[in-house]
This record gives sequence, C-alpha cells and structure tokens, in this order.
Amino acid sequence: MAVAEIAGPAPETESRHAPAGSMLVLECVAKRFGRVQALSDISLNIKSGAVHCLLGENGAGKSTLCNLVFGVHQPDAGTMLFDGKPHAPQGPADALRAGIAMVHQHFSLVPDMTVTENVLLGRTRGLLDRKAWAARIQTLSDEYGLAVDPSALVGDLSVGERQRIEIIKCMIENPRLIILDEPTAVLLPEEIAKLMSVCRSLAARGCAIVLVTHKLAEIKQVADTVTVLRQGRTVATSAEPAKDIQRLVSAMVQRDLASLDVALAGTLGVSEDAAEADDGIREPSLPRGQEAMQLDALTVRDASGVLRVDEVTLTVDRGEIVGVAGVEGNGQTEIGLVLAGLLKPTSGRVFVGGTEATSKSPREITAMGVGIVPEDRHALACISSMSLAENMCLNRLDSFCRFGLLLRGQMEREAAALMTQFDVRADGPRTPFSSLSGGNQQKAVLARELTTDRLLFLLAAQPTRGLDVGAVEAVYKSIGKTCEAGVGVLLISSELDELIAVAHRIVVLYRGRIIGERRALPKFRHDIGMLMAGQQP
Amino acid sequence: MSANAISPAGPSMWQSLIRNEIAVAFAAVLGALIVGLLLIVMIGVPLSDAIGAFLDGAVGSGYAIAASINRAAVFAAVGLGFIFANQANLTNVGGEGQIAMGGIAAAAVALKTPVADLPVGLAFMVPMLAAVIAGAVWGGICGVLKVKVGTNEVISSLLLTFIGIWLLYWSVQSTDLLRQPMTNTATLPETLEIPDATKLPALLDVAGPLNIGLVFVVFLAVIIQLALHQGVLGLRLRAAGLNELASRRAGIPYDRYVVLAMAVAGGFGGFAGAIMLQGDQYVLKDGFTSGYGFDGLVVGLLARGSSIGVVLGALFFGFLRSGGINMEMTAQVPSAVVVIIQGLVIIAIAASGYWLSRNEGKR
Repeated sequence: MAVAEIAGPAPETESRHAPAGSMLVLECVAKRFGRVQALSDISLNIKSGAVHCLLGENGAGKSTLCNLVFGVHQPDAGTMLFDGKPHAPQGPADALRAGIAMVHQHFSLVPDMTVTENVLLGRTRGLLDRKAWAARIQTLSDEYGLAVDPSALVGDLSVGERQRIEIIKCMIENPRLIILDEPTAVLLPEEIAKLMSVCRSLAARGCAIVLVTHKLAEIKQVADTVTVLRQGRTVATSAEPAKDIQRLVSAMVQRDLASLDVALAGTLGVSEDAAEADDGIREPSLPRGQEAMQLDALTVRDASGVLRVDEVTLTVDRGEIVGVAGVEGNGQTEIGLVLAGLLKPTSGRVFVGGTEATSKSPREITAMGVGIVPEDRHALACISSMSLAENMCLNRLDSFCRFGLLLRGQMEREAAALMTQFDVRADGPRTPFSSLSGGNQQKAVLARELTTDRLLFLLAAQPTRGLDVGAVEAVYKSIGKTCEAGVGVLLISSELDELIAVAHRIVVLYRGRIIGERRALPKFRHDIGMLMAGQQP
Repeated sequence: MSANAISPAGPSMWQSLIRNEIAVAFAAVLGALIVGLLLIVMIGVPLSDAIGAFLDGAVGSGYAIAASINRAAVFAAVGLGFIFANQANLTNVGGEGQIAMGGIAAAAVALKTPVADLPVGLAFMVPMLAAVIAGAVWGGICGVLKVKVGTNEVISSLLLTFIGIWLLYWSVQSTDLLRQPMTNTATLPETLEIPDATKLPALLDVAGPLNIGLVFVVFLAVIIQLALHQGVLGLRLRAAGLNELASRRAGIPYDRYVVLAMAVAGGFGGFAGAIMLQGDQYVLKDGFTSGYGFDGLVVGLLARGSSIGVVLGALFFGFLRSGGINMEMTAQVPSAVVVIIQGLVIIAIAASGYWLSRNEGKR
C-alpha cells in the first residue's frame, strides 16, 4: 500500500523538486514502527558533489532515514526522487542498481580471505579473474587515496583498513550516492582524518555523500550541508555548518549549551576552550596513596593461547578516575572480565583495597566492594526479559527473601527508590527490562552497581555508548559523585574526548599492553592518539 | 476479519474468547479428538463401540478411574521435574531412563534389603528414597556433563535413557542381579513381586487400586509452584537459564544451579519409577517404563512452567491413555491409532499456545 502512494508522483511536481545538482530529494517522508513514529515529515535535498551530514542523537531517526533511501525499509508516506526519477526501492538490490551504496556500521567481511576475494564475493560468476579484480581495486585505491593492498588478508588489517575495503566494495559499483552510517565510531583519530579526506575526494568527483555522525569535529572538517534530526523530525539545517555549530548542537540536544555539564560539553566537542581553561585544575578528590584497586602484571591468554592482556600493572587510587584509552579489542574486554571474576587470569594478581581478589568468585568480588558496569550490557549486566526490579536486585536477592520465598513487594519498593534516586524512567519496577531505552537501562545498571555495599572500586566500560545526551550527563554525574565519595574508578572508553573530559589520567592500551600514560588534558590528545595507534610520540 | 464483518459486537467477544487460554486449549483438544474419531471411522470400527470402550477404560468403573489417576500421578511427577529444570532453560528428555533407574533402585532395596521389616511408613519410603536418589544421580550426570564439558543436556539425558533402559533389561535378565530364581525354563525374566510392606498404601479402600502417589504428587506440585514462582530459587534458576554470564556476575553459582536443576528433574523421574513399581506393577520387568517418561515430558512441555498445568495435563493424558488401552483391547482399534490421536492432541495444544502468543503480540 505504501508503495502505491509513493510510486507515482505527478510529472510537474517531479521537475519542481529536482533542481539542478540535486541527487536525492526527499519530500514529506514518514515511517512508523509499531507505536513508534521513527520519522515524520522529513524533507531533504542532497546535492551531487557535496557532503551532507546527518546529525542527531541515538534514536533520532538517522539510521531509519538511511535505511529508507537504501531500500531496507519502505516509507509509509512521502516521495523520494533520485536523480530526478521516482525512487521506491523494495530492497538494497534496487538501491544498488539505481546507484546508491551504503557503508554500514558493522562490516561484512570474511577475515580468512584476501581483500580481492572479499570484494569479488557475490559480484562474479563462473571463473575467477583475481588479477583483473586486484587491478581494479588497486586503481580505485590509488584514485581515492584509500591505501588498500588487494592481496592482504582481511584478518591482518586494522579496523580503519577494513572500513576502506567496505568503501571499495561500494565504489566498485560506481555509485552516485554513498551513505556512510556512523563510519568513525571505531576509528583512530588519524584514521578519521583520512576518511574525511576520502569523503572530500569522492565528492570532488561528483558523488553525493551522506555522512551520519554525532561528532561535531567531523562536521567542521568535511560537511557542506548539515541536517539535524531530533525525534524523527528535521529540527535544523545549515549550509554553512562551520559557523553554525553552536546552533546545530543546541538543536540536537534541545537545550541551551550553557547548561551543559563541562565534561559533557567537552565530549560533544563544543567547549574545547573551556576544557583547555581548566588545564591542570582537575585533581583527584582524595590525597594519593590509598589504593582502591591494583593490577599486578596481569596476563591473560585466550583459549587458543593468544596473548590478550600482557603484564598490565595499574593502580587506581580512591577518589581517582583512571581512563583506559585504546581501540576496542586491545585487551579491555578481558581486563573487565577478570575484574568481574568471570575470567581467570593466566598470571598476575588483582588487589582490591589491598586485599587479593585474584580468581575470587563474582559473589566474593562484589562483597569486597567492586561494582562493574560492563561494556556489553546485554551479555553481562542484565537479563532483558526479566523485570526492572528483578534486574536491579538480582545481586542481593538474599535481602528480599524469607523462608525461601521472595518478598516481591519489598524488592519493588527498593527498586522504585533506586529509580527515583538515579532518575530511571520506566512505567514501574515491574516493567520488562527490555522495554527501557538504552539510557534508562544503563542508569538502572549504574544504580545497582553504585549501591553495592561498601563500594570501593568501580569499573565502567564504555558507560555512555549508545546513550543520548541527557543520559550521558546523568551517567557522568553519578560516576563523578561516586568518585568524590572516595571510590576509585577505572573508565574504559574508545572515545578519547570522553576520557579527556572525565578522567584524571589516561593510560593507553595497545595489543594488551599499557604503552603510555598521560594526564587527561586536551593538549595530550595528539600524543594519546598516536599511542592508540601503537606509536610512541 | 470475517468476525469483524458479521457484527460490531463480534471482535470484542471474539478477542475475549481467544484470550481465554483454557477455552482455546479445550477447543484445540476437541478438534484433535474429532479428527481422531474420523480416523477410527475410516478404519471401519463402529464409532459407538470405540467411544464406549474408551469411556469404559477411562472412567467406566472405580477401578478404571483409579488406574487413570495412578497413571496421571506418574506423568505429573515427570512433568514437575521437567518444569523445574525448564525454569533454568534446561530440557530434561531423560524421564524414561530416570524412571528405569528409579525402578531398579526401588526394586533392589525392596527385594535385597530387609526394609520390609521396618515400621510401616519406612518400609515403602526407603525404597522410594532410593529411587529418588538413583534418578537424581541419572539427571545430575547430565548437569555435570553440561557444566564441565558443555554437553547439551538434551543429548546426554536422551543417551542416558538408553543406558538406563538397558541396565533395567540386564538387571531383570540376570539372576545375579534382580531376576527371580529360575525354577524351570518358563520362569519369566522379571523380579519377584516386592514385599507387601513395601507397596504403596491405598488411598481409599473403596475406589480400587488408587494409591497415595497422588497425595505425594499434589504436595510436590504445591512445593514446586511456590519454589518456581514465589521463591528466590525460581528467580535465580530463571536468571541462570536466561543469561549465564549476567547471573554469574550477580553472584549466582551457575554451575551448581545447572546440576541442581537436572538432579531435581531426575529425582522426580526416579520418584515416578518408584510409584510405578510400588503402587501399580509390583514386579520389575522389561518394558517396565512403558513410555511414561516421554508422556511426562509432553505434559511438562505443554504446561509451560505451571504446576497446575502439569497436574491438569497429567490427568488428561492419564485418562486418555487408560481409555486408549481399553479401546485397543475391546474395540480392536489399533494401538497406532491411539498413539496418533495422542499426537494430534499434543500438536493441537502446542499450536493453540502459539496461536495465543501470536495474538498477544498483535494486540
């Protein structure tokens, strides 16, 4: 039904909506999923030879919009014109045929195959002509400065290089519109810069680029036009983004920038000057020397014997926030699992408050005053199909138990109190955990972990990932307050800006080793970026 | 759609009806039974004969009713064990083998030890306890295999069933084990009858062989219902079953809970074996388990975690089995047809559950 509505726009409207240079025109597009109106009344004009940034918080509708253009979903209402012709793709194959390509957040590459083999997968029949494909890839790579070796094994390549293979997979189709969905989330600072220049060179050759992002630095660097989405609506546009940054950010978070927390503003990239200003002021709230947690030559090998954590020695004092920077997959996950008591280290020791905690059970570690906010919330922190109250009290059910029977009322009252204290918004303690938004889920997990008895040390891994600005602020505030109360915090994050804004000092993890340490100051951003790439500055 | 078109009052009535689980299940069973009857007509057995024989076998006499209820108690025991393990997302399909192990243990204790001399209550309770322990070990092995080497409990419990059944066969074939002394070549490969003192006491003298197995089962059903749905244990089992890592992180000893859940399920299977031997069959022989472990599994599956569901389902299958056996004996309806009808009922109930949840999702 939806197809019929958008399939036949009248010829005269067609010409009106497709002025010269327009590659993709969206007119009053809407999409609803169940009860959620994901997009309403979106109109856009994406020009050839330009980089068009889509800015917005999580859940603002950016991905839905891309998926409509790429044919993954079909709009409920509105019209799309691509290159002057009606565009109503029934699937990605239609969109690809029309000349639209998309680089997804998650790559679809086979690690055991070479770059060439990955590119030709699904694009060739009969005999393989690897040489011809390799030559085409080399040409594209040279033309756009992608620096990809066609004969390299994908498994050996960095995340940035893998992403460039995905870009080559798009380019080989000769598209006229390329959609990049949050392409920089997993990249090192220098790789981001490289990607931005690739975007510019693609645009220079007449392509239209749609870049989905929530990072302002990228917009300053590369955007010709910016559209800000909020709750499925267009709330701001700008043809001169560099000048309008403040206005765009206010529109995105729907509040006055002056009211933003300093740390939060630093993370968003809107107040680097402010962050520079407090250079050297931020100090741990307690005098040094009282250790909350200590890792002593911690070493972890995985089941196949690969070294994941390599003799990491690290002390977190009480009242101190130590940031761990590094691209994901450099040992952060394993350190988190060891601290949670879910993984036995191969060697080395863990101390909490001076007492050895190596290889203790999760229950004993919790009893020592360790709270864990894991990076993978759904795997470790919560059980989505159980209720909010059950999730919030799961680690202390003994206090809600009489003669083996569960005191549900008492448990729900406790959960309701925590919900108020930590501003967890939900219909009530009985709501299924899965129905909460990501931000509220994270606040609930934080609430549980921060109210651990005699809390001494908190591990927070990627605590703000996927959260909107309000929730990010709440998470920072809770962590900050905890730290002031004398708890030592180890903050693992792949967002360098977040670490610089929140932590006292930052250690950099590379291939399982700590290869450097800096104070968390913006002037060290470059150094830390180099360390993250494994180079000594 | 059609209900909408007929009358404006249609949808709400229709919806309230489809939301009523019992009504839907009832309709589904009725449908399956009608198909079964058509099948009987097709093979040429007069319908009145078949129905008469069925009712006669299921509820025709005090004896028939008692036999049906005894049977139901066995199904319910296995079913309760099933839902206990299932709370932790574990599927125990080894009821048959656990019944065999329970039967062997109860028979061995009743025949080879002087328990019959114990005061009245203990004389039948000690063999029963032995059966529970034997079943629990049989189920617990699956739990240990799962946490130590990652063997799926469906596979291990099924394979242990074969071992259990062949152990039963061996123990009734060998005079060194439980077989009765060979007096002549016609001596059957079975045990002696267990001593009277070790038999389950009758519940009501008037109603034939109804034994106190029923009382045990009702008591256990209440305990299981409380433990799973009101107890901390139930919540922890559920957490362990839903997310191993998160439950371990929350301080739940996952490994111990898996072994416990499977051991309890097995213990219930062993208990079922005991009430079969001590309440009904009195001798152990090849084929002792009668497929009741699988019937109990089906009862547990269909109950969807509810003890009341287990008891109702067990009663239904108990009567269905008794009626079916009589239909086969007196109305010459092939046993295959009886099994087919049972299968149709299972599919109908399962489908109605799916239908209900799908409608739930739509609303």
